[in-house]
Parts: sequence; structure tokens; C-alpha cells
Amino acid sequence: MLPCTVGSIKRPVSPPWDSASPAKASVSRVFITGVGAVSPVGLGRGEFFRALAEGKSGIATIESFDGAALGREFAGEVKGFRPRDHLTAAEARHTGRCSAMTVAAARMAVADSGIRPEHLRGPRTAVVIGTTMGEADVIADLDHAWIKGGASAVPRSLLPRYGSTLLSIHVARAFGAQGMALTLPGACAAGNYAIGFAADLIRAGKADVVVTGAAEMLQELQFSGFVRLAAMAPEKCQPFDLHRQGLLVGEGAGIVVLESEAHAMRRGARLDAEVGGYGLSCDGYHITRPHAEAVGSIAAMRGAIERSGITPDAVDFVNAHGTGTKANDAAEAKVMFDVFGARRVPISSVKSTLGHCMGAASALEAVACVMTLETGIYPPTVGYETPDPECDLDVVSTTGRTGKADVLLNNSLAFGGYNAVVCFARPGVLPPPVLGHPGTPS
Amino acid sequence: MTPRAITGFGVVASLGIGRSAWTAALRDGTIPAPAPPTAAFDARAYPEARVAEVPDFEPSRFLGEKGLRSLDRQTKLLVVAARLCLHDAGLKKDGRFVALSPERVGFCAGNAYGSLEAISELDRVAVLEDARYINPAKFPNTVANSASGYVSIWEDLRALNVAISDGSCGALDSLACADIYLSCGRADAILVGGGEALSEPLYVAWKRAGRLAGGTPLGEGAALFVLETEESAKARGARVAARLLGLGTSFHGPAHDGVLLHAAPEAMERAVDDAVTDAGLLAGDIDLVVSGASRSGAYAAAELGGIARALGESVPIAAPKSLFGETLGASGALGMAAALTWMEGIAPRAIVRGEAPTNVKTVVVTTLGLYGNATAAVLRRG
Repeated sequence: MLPCTVGSIKRPVSPPWDSASPAKASVSRVFITGVGAVSPVGLGRGEFFRALAEGKSGIATIESFDGAALGREFAGEVKGFRPRDHLTAAEARHTGRCSAMTVAAARMAVADSGIRPEHLRGPRTAVVIGTTMGEADVIADLDHAWIKGGASAVPRSLLPRYGSTLLSIHVARAFGAQGMALTLPGACAAGNYAIGFAADLIRAGKADVVVTGAAEMLQELQFSGFVRLAAMAPEKCQPFDLHRQGLLVGEGAGIVVLESEAHAMRRGARLDAEVGGYGLSCDGYHITRPHAEAVGSIAAMRGAIERSGITPDAVDFVNAHGTGTKANDAAEAKVMFDVFGARRVPISSVKSTLGHCMGAASALEAVACVMTLETGIYPPTVGYETPDPECDLDVVSTTGRTGKADVLLNNSLAFGGYNAVVCFARPGVLPPPVLGHPGTPS
Repeated sequence: MTPRAITGFGVVASLGIGRSAWTAALRDGTIPAPAPPTAAFDARAYPEARVAEVPDFEPSRFLGEKGLRSLDRQTKLLVVAARLCLHDAGLKKDGRFVALSPERVGFCAGNAYGSLEAISELDRVAVLEDARYINPAKFPNTVANSASGYVSIWEDLRALNVAISDGSCGALDSLACADIYLSCGRADAILVGGGEALSEPLYVAWKRAGRLAGGTPLGEGAALFVLETEESAKARGARVAARLLGLGTSFHGPAHDGVLLHAAPEAMERAVDDAVTDAGLLAGDIDLVVSGASRSGAYAAAELGGIARALGESVPIAAPKSLFGETLGASGALGMAAALTWMEGIAPRAIVRGEAPTNVKTVVVTTLGLYGNATAAVLRRG
């Protein structure tokens, strides 16, 4: 009997793999033992998922800049986030909004995991954070000062604060982590890229604990870009709906604490979820359009399944990339048909309530997946009303649903053909990873 | 770690474009003096500017005329380096894959400020005109992975595409990431390395930060390498220029949280120590360290100090940024390119400690970041 707990069940359990004796050729399982979220619908594990489960929307009129002047005025903005509630005075001085949200979510995740500070200090703790633009407010301030006042007006004190590498640096500093501190800009699949690689670091024996996830902030230039790409919906984001008109952008940070099996067991950690295999691919096709045949996305989704040692039949629910654009949702539907055939696996997109949080999207959705595993609640795709024959899927509509939640897939099928799909499972459900199995380090 | 084969490299640098030009410059000592930029940005407002720019860089010579208009300079440097690299490794001939399939070849490379040029260009339109007029074709260039994404599109690399943002350490970090991806069977070969382009906002930032005063000119370039499993290299009969034997990457924050910039000899020491241990070697096995140190300053002192702590005072150290400039996200990759060239029998240059070895077989390449991060890689002649 191992001194651990699974999900919110506060009792010791004997995971099925305990007697499977994979000792000779095993690699470590990787568990999520804590989650943190800074999101348009709330902060922290409970508030975040309650809102998602209830279909509470975080979409509202933008407050931080005048969106209406750009032709669109709605987004998933994190309201009322005060860095000093989560960061020290020095940290708040050194961080832009994106890093501040990252550190805040990381602190929530670490507190949620119950891990003691001394377990994080030192070279066996790594930090891997995804993003697309990182400290977008810092670069905007620098640029605007330069453009309006010339080179001599560029504030020197701001210069060291720019650079997306700082997201991981700030988190490493916050916990005294001394292992790899890496920022992975992976378009809107950045969260899955980061979490997948973080799990690989543990499986490869390079770290015992990794604080990982992704963050992104809403910023005027990026907002304008999506408007100019004609990708932005006027008011509502309705993934997979016949009348969908595009995406709405959002912001936030989703962070999870990953631990090796041995580390988690040693400290009697609560096991929220197991990180199974993940699939990566690149379309190599177009910088904004999905591949017409979705071959890369299919490879990524199949990769996640195969590398988890399961078959498609084992998947209970899919958290969709589901941006709400015509092309992306249709491509994702193609992937679902190809992978699951006639079996209609429930699928939902929380981008309908969070907006598309870009680099942070799949990390926040990973947190949502963890909560679905714990509660069996599939969060709704708010605004899904009229089925689209091109997306003939079992979309979890506005009322939400409960169901079996042992094995989930988290899809990220991003701009630039960046595809990353991660499998999350209830601890004890997946077969033990063994050396030589696809997806395990050799 | 399991040794990995390095089966080709492509380089675009102030020393020259392509392996032959690069090698000739290092062999003959034809190191161009820092000069005013002619293509990277309009230097009329900066008469003092002396940079290490890639000379006569005409991407259309390598890529053709079509599709270049919306690409930024960073992307063009990387795409050209990738094309040269794939051909040098024998994976492609006349633009087509002749070994391995696109699904088994990935891309994983670092940059420090890759999207800066595009963001600033669009910011200028938004501030001086109206955000409604920004060019949507250039909007994808504002994300830090855009150059990597374009490389995969131009070169048809489909196994995976990973951009790394870790300042000057990004290029060597790409080796650590790619090694794990290869271990997990995600690809048979991965292009690794890094790139960084000169641009006006980068120059302004560096100038305002007071970083031009150290004697090392701001530079640019890209260097990419094919990192391949031994099995794959052997199966296709590839020429192995060198092997990656060990890696170390670490972070060491400052004692007090009041400072952000932090030169950390502790991080450098641990990275080198870990890399050499990972390679199963001892300090005495190292013939040369190719460092990322500039000519002077706290970071140079921390990097050289950390190396000395790990390997002792007697190991020769080169600091080739004096040859190709401060190239930030590309610096580790250009350091690797220098190391490979010196392994081929070309006499090492830019030695800042000890004497240049006559036979360079085993090299440690190092980079130190601005915030307490450090990475080291051990290479051995193929």
C-alpha cells in the first residue's frame, strides 16, 4: 500500500501497477501533483474549473485597450489580477504581465501540490514554460518609447525585462530551481509542447520535479493582428457550430507540477493525473492555414494514443483545440473521424468561455483536463447550438455533461502547423511505460 | 547520454556563407573588421554603428525569388542555414530528400530576440498610423517560433518543430532537447542550433543597455547541425563530423531577488561538470573549451571562472565571439561551428587562456545567459 492519494480522494490507494513488477525495464511514470490557473474565469484550481463546468463565460469588453477602435471589442481578459497578491515586491518590479501571471499560477500549483520548498530547491527541479510572445507589454513599452522619442527615450531599466526566456527564469528563481530553465515558444500549442517535454525530462531521468505549463497576455498588437487576419469573431466564439465566426483571444497562465513516480511516492503526494504519451508533428505546410488533409494533426493524435500504450477505444473525452474558425474546426473534425472512425468520442472546447489564450491555451486546458479526470465533468462548449455537417462530432453543448473520465486527450493544432496532443489519465489506468516502448527514452 | 552523430552543418555568418567560406575564413584568418551595417538596418541614425553583419546576404540565391517578401531577416538566415545543412549532411540533394523521410526529420533551434524586428515594425505602423493598417502577412512573424515554423515549411521537416528561447544558451539547449526527442524515437535526425539577426531595435536595445562598449561587436548569423542517432547515420552511410557525447544545463539564481541580471559562475561550473560527467570523461580529456565569453566584463569573468572551477586552470579556452560578434541566440551554434572546424585540423584562434592545442579531438562548448543560466556540450571528432 502506497502512501499516496488519487485526485481528491484522500485515502491511500494501491495503484494497479504496484504489482506489475516492471522494475527491470521500466521508466518513471510522470504524475501531475498540483495545478494553478490564472484565467479569464478565475484564479486557482477550484474557481477556474467551477466556472468552466458551469459554462460561465470570461468573454467581456476589453478594459486594457480600446478594442472597438480596431473593429472588435471582446476578449477573455483576466480581470482584477494584482501581481502583488502573488509576487514579492522585487518580483513584481522585474516582471511584465505575462511573467507575473506565470509566477502566480506556478505558486498556486506548488501550493496545490503540497510540495515543500526544500523539495524544489536544487538541480533536480526544472522549469519548462511555453508562450508565443512572452513579455508583450514590456516590448510594447520599449517600442513605443523608441518610436515616439527616439533611441535616447528607450528606458534602460526596462531592457533586461524583455525576452520570453524570462518566463522560465522568473519561475526558477521563485522556487530556487537549478535544473534546466527553458522557455519553449510553440505557437498556440506551446502549453502541450512544454508539458510533454517536461514529462520527457522526468522519464529520461534528468529531473525529479518540473514546474511546467504556459502563459500569454492579451496585448493590443497581437489583438490587431488577429483582427487583420480576419480570424476574430465579432462577439461569440462558437467552436464547431455551423454559424461560427472565428476565434476570440484570451490570456492567462496554466501551470502544473510534474513529479516522477518515485518522488511523488516518497513524499506521499496526491496524484491528480498521469501524463501519458504525447504526439508531436509539424505540417510543414502553411504559416496560418491547417493542412488540407490534416496529416500532421492525425499523426500527433495517433502518436499520443500509441505512446500511451492504449488504443483509441480507451479515450473517453477530447479537449478540443476548437478555436471557432471555419478552417481549424473542420480540420480537427477530420482528425477525429480519422482517429476514432464511427465512434463518437465526446469533445468540447473551453475556448468558447476562455477565449483562445494562445500560448497558454493548452496549458489552461491541461488544468481543465486534470479537473475532468477528478470530477467526471466534461466542461461545455458554450454557444454550440447548430451542428455543422462538416464537424459531425459529439460536441458537449452548453449544458455540459458528466461521463467516464479515465483517459483524455488534449489537442493543440496550432498556427504554423505546430501539432501537439497530450494524453492525461487517472493514475493507475495506463499501462506502465517500459523501455523500448514508443515514447519512452531509450 | 547515448552519443549522437553530427552529420552535417550549415552556417551563415559574418565570416561567410556556407561551410567552405566559413572554414576558409578561420583557416586564413580573413576576419572582417566590424563595419557599418549595409543591409540589416538603415544606420544613418547611428553613425557610430560597427557590427558583424553577414556580408552580401542574398537569400534568393539559395531560395529562389518567390515567397521571400513576408519573411524577416531572422527567418531568411535560418532557412538558408537549414538548406545548406541538409545538403551538407546528405539528407537532401538538389532540394529533395534523398535519405530519411520528412516525417523523420525535425527542427529544434534557439533564438534570443527572434520576433523583435517584426514586432517593432508592426508597432511602428500601429503607433504612427493605425493598428488597423498592420500587414497581416507579417503578423505571424511576431511570435517567437515563427522563424522555426517557416524553416519547416520551406524545408519540409515534419517530425517536430521546436523553438527555444533561452537567450544565448538557446542553441546549445536545442541539443539537450533534441537528444531527448531522439531518445524517445520522435525523429531519426533533428536540425539543431540557432540564429539571430541584426535589426535596428536590437541595435538600439544593445546600445541603450551599454553592451556595445565591451569590444565585441553586435553580430548576426545562423548555424544549424544535423544531430542524428548513430543507427540512422550508420544505416545511411553518413559522414560523421563529430559526436555529441555529453550535455549539461543549469540555472543558478542570485542570492537576493533585488537583481535581475545575474552572471553565475556556479551555473557555468555545474553545466560543464554535468556535461563532462555525462560524456563519461574527465577534465584532462578536454583539449579545448570554446566559450561564449566576450572580451571583458562580468559575464566573461563568470564564464571563464566557472569553466576553470570545473576543468582547472590549464585547459585552453577560445572565445570566438571576437571573430563573429555577439550573436546572442546563435552564439552557441557558431561556437559549435568553430569547434567542428578546429577539429578538422584548422588551428584554433581567439585563444584567451592557455595555448592553442595542435590536435583538437575533444571540445567543450559553453554559453552563459544573462540571468543565471548556463549550458555546456561535449563534442568529439568523428
